[in-house]
Amino acid sequence: MSTPAKEFLHSAAVKSADLAHRSTIRTGIDHYEAAVMRTGARFLDWEAAREQCRAVKWEAVNHLDKYLLEFESRVQDRGGHVFWAETAADARRYISELAARKDVRTVVKSKSMVSEEIDLRQDLEKQGVKVFETDLGELIVQLRDEPPYHLMTPAMHLTRTEIADLFREKYGGVESNDPQHLVDIARRALRDAFFSAEMGITGANFLVADSGMVALTTNEGNGRLGSSLPRIHVVVTGIEKVIPRMQDLAVLWPTLARSAVGQSIACYNTLIGGPRNAKEADGPEEFHVVLLDNGRSELLADAEQREVLHCIRCGACLNVCPVFRKIGGHSYGTVYGGPIGSVLMPHLGGLNKFQHLSFASSLCGACTEACPVKIDLHHHLLQNRRNAVESAERPFGERLAFKLWRWMMMAPKRFAVLGGAARAGLRAVHALGLEGTRLDPLRPWTKTHAPPAIPAESFRSQWRKIATK
Amino acid sequence: MQQNDNPGRGRILARIQKGLRNPAPKHAPVDKSGAIFAPIVDPLDRFQKECGQNGTECLIVPNAAAVAEAFERLLEPIPPGEIFVQDAPELRPMAALRRNDRSIRWSTEGRPAEQSQATVTLAEALVAQTGSIFVSAACGGRAASVVAPVHILVASIQQLVPDLGAAFERLRERGAVENNSMLCLITGPSRTADIEKIIVMGAHGPRRVVVILSLEPLS
Amino acid sequence: MARVLERIGYAIDFPEAQTCCGQPGFNSGYWREARALAERFVGVFRDADFVVCPSGSCTTMVRVFYKELLEGAAREAATNLSSRVFEFSEFLVKVAKITDVGANFPHRVTYHDACHALRELHLRDEPRELLRHVKNLELVEMPYSEECCGFGGTFSTKFPMISAAMGETKAANAGAANVEYVTSTDPSCLMHIDGILRSRKSAVRTIHLASILAQSELSDGNTSPAVTKNSP
Repeated sequence: MSTPAKEFLHSAAVKSADLAHRSTIRTGIDHYEAAVMRTGARFLDWEAAREQCRAVKWEAVNHLDKYLLEFESRVQDRGGHVFWAETAADARRYISELAARKDVRTVVKSKSMVSEEIDLRQDLEKQGVKVFETDLGELIVQLRDEPPYHLMTPAMHLTRTEIADLFREKYGGVESNDPQHLVDIARRALRDAFFSAEMGITGANFLVADSGMVALTTNEGNGRLGSSLPRIHVVVTGIEKVIPRMQDLAVLWPTLARSAVGQSIACYNTLIGGPRNAKEADGPEEFHVVLLDNGRSELLADAEQREVLHCIRCGACLNVCPVFRKIGGHSYGTVYGGPIGSVLMPHLGGLNKFQHLSFASSLCGACTEACPVKIDLHHHLLQNRRNAVESAERPFGERLAFKLWRWMMMAPKRFAVLGGAARAGLRAVHALGLEGTRLDPLRPWTKTHAPPAIPAESFRSQWRKIATK
Repeated sequence: MQQNDNPGRGRILARIQKGLRNPAPKHAPVDKSGAIFAPIVDPLDRFQKECGQNGTECLIVPNAAAVAEAFERLLEPIPPGEIFVQDAPELRPMAALRRNDRSIRWSTEGRPAEQSQATVTLAEALVAQTGSIFVSAACGGRAASVVAPVHILVASIQQLVPDLGAAFERLRERGAVENNSMLCLITGPSRTADIEKIIVMGAHGPRRVVVILSLEPLS
Repeated sequence: MARVLERIGYAIDFPEAQTCCGQPGFNSGYWREARALAERFVGVFRDADFVVCPSGSCTTMVRVFYKELLEGAAREAATNLSSRVFEFSEFLVKVAKITDVGANFPHRVTYHDACHALRELHLRDEPRELLRHVKNLELVEMPYSEECCGFGGTFSTKFPMISAAMGETKAANAGAANVEYVTSTDPSCLMHIDGILRSRKSAVRTIHLASILAQSELSDGNTSPAVTKNSP
């Protein structure tokens, strides 16, 4: 019976060996790193920027009720609706019922991880609503019927040639694999949808409490069109996205842009406060914000790991992760992948089911270093591992092994005996030519490594000889 | 939305309040008084440099009278068709550019058509730090700054502020936050990095963003 | 490491009571078991002026993670000990204030930035400074020197394919730098990289930073006469 852990192991093994895939990822990441480096020059003090962003999110999350209530009240003052959804099902139901009530036949949707988390698109499609993904990366994976690969660049696992072939098949008129040309094709293909859709669905990067506005960052303009043209605009967001003041965006916007894409600032940083007002030339007649809990309030109660809710979903941790660079985004098999996903999924989806993600890391710390809001990601991975052990979710054999390890390490004589036995054992294995076979105790190692050179004697015994000289 | 339509609301709030009773470790206070960004000494110069980098075309003109002339030159290469213009006194001179092959739609007549060739609007503020322009729904509506392949903005030097912090203050002081249902900070033409993480210009929004910047007030 | 320290004038003790800092258990989530080892470690080294360790990851365990693992009096004792615990290259450069230990190693060498040393102990320049002062050593940077080699302790046995793939990338980058040796502050990284290099039949070898620094101009490996210094 397949479990997420088994599927992960399988997929990770396959992708790790896929050199073409590794090369595509490496190329994308190199572009990203170069851009991040260039943008670094814009900051007198990058560490201060990170610290300020952390402080903003700390204040928001540690007073979450206060700021959510302020946000809600101001959104309502502006004529918008706020719906608090405890579960994914509650969120889906609200939006489906709204779509049904308002005769919505077409939806244009811009990128929203939360909408993936709750399987929104599939739910709407079941009731006969046509849903267009308008973010280019999301559009591409929608056409390929696969999940997004990366939370910032959903199609980074594909080369321009593969995308050109896809567009040729779905749209026609493809003359080259030049990215500019491919973007033009996508633009033309989605134009009609933007102008005819009754409902636009977007995510939110930040919920600004002091002004009752939703901050939405995009580069393409799809979120702009989706929140301007259709008569209903729905925002789906996690409850943790709130920030206290609009002024906080002065540091958040540039910091997010650098970490996410290596830009000075994103092309469109939009603030939406409610439906159009009477004096405005255009805009939606209705505005709904769906606030999703779905396990976040439980994570909030875990004071040690509460800061995981500070995440602004920039994707930097994925880009710098050496494991991600080998296994790719699909191997995680979860909405949220990479380091943030490995920390978050045991909380949102269950420790037993997703603990393997927290173990699948060499704890190199690159993620923690890259995080623009200074989440101690790799320390949280360690805490998840401890939680897994303490709730007895680990295999019996492993628990026994570590009890034995502790026993042996508590006395130097036992430690020395262990060392001696290990050396003798390895020599025997080598002498009998058993390396790499089932009888090799180091088989997981020797399958992929040449066997280690076995020291003739321990340091302890060398030291004794020198010390007595 | 009535309380009874959304029973989850009370439960979520209760869980949040209960959860927050466990205090999170507060990190040691860090000195935030140091500047994160270098102070901007010459905003106009910085604005022009940033525009050069982000792809915004910045045309400096001496005064309001020269704006109309700048329009003429800009519109020349644009294909015939509809131009959508924010209905504002500063932009009324645009009407003179109406010809047989070019129609003008004012924002008071409805939103821009899908095939609009260009839109023309005012702005709320210009931001030197990033070469960005703040627009609002009052600037001809929401669609005006994103529908057409070319977006032309008319602004004056009085609207130029050094950085984002100053921009937010200006918006607040002028009531722009309270009175608009949309604000948008625009930085260059639309773009995407979704193909091999390479930045490509011209996605769903405009491919060209032009700022006509008058060194004297517009009215 | 012991030879080098003696060469520059330090008196060294190797408390035989020591066993393990507890990191393998800690990293695998067995904090209760690791805690016992941590308390023991703090006891064994309590009275040392300095504790020097040829491993960035063990040093990190003591200086950074003991604070998370221990509580109360044990935690205080650990924090107290922390200020006296150093990784080897860190000790030489920052405490002994020496960058030239009189070593000679006529080879082309590249330095692998071990993760704990780099990101937890913030050592990037110190090992390189030491290497630059080694006579006849040509120090070359390899691409992505800061990328994890993939060992990660039990990670290498729980997720061997990922670990090996990461190691392959490291080995390939070392090859691209056209060096004879890869060196680092951490024996575990080097063991992993070494196993991968030899399984690829690469000519590149691994050697610990301390072993390079121990190589002096005297061919028989004896230390040059120690400059007598009172042990600080």
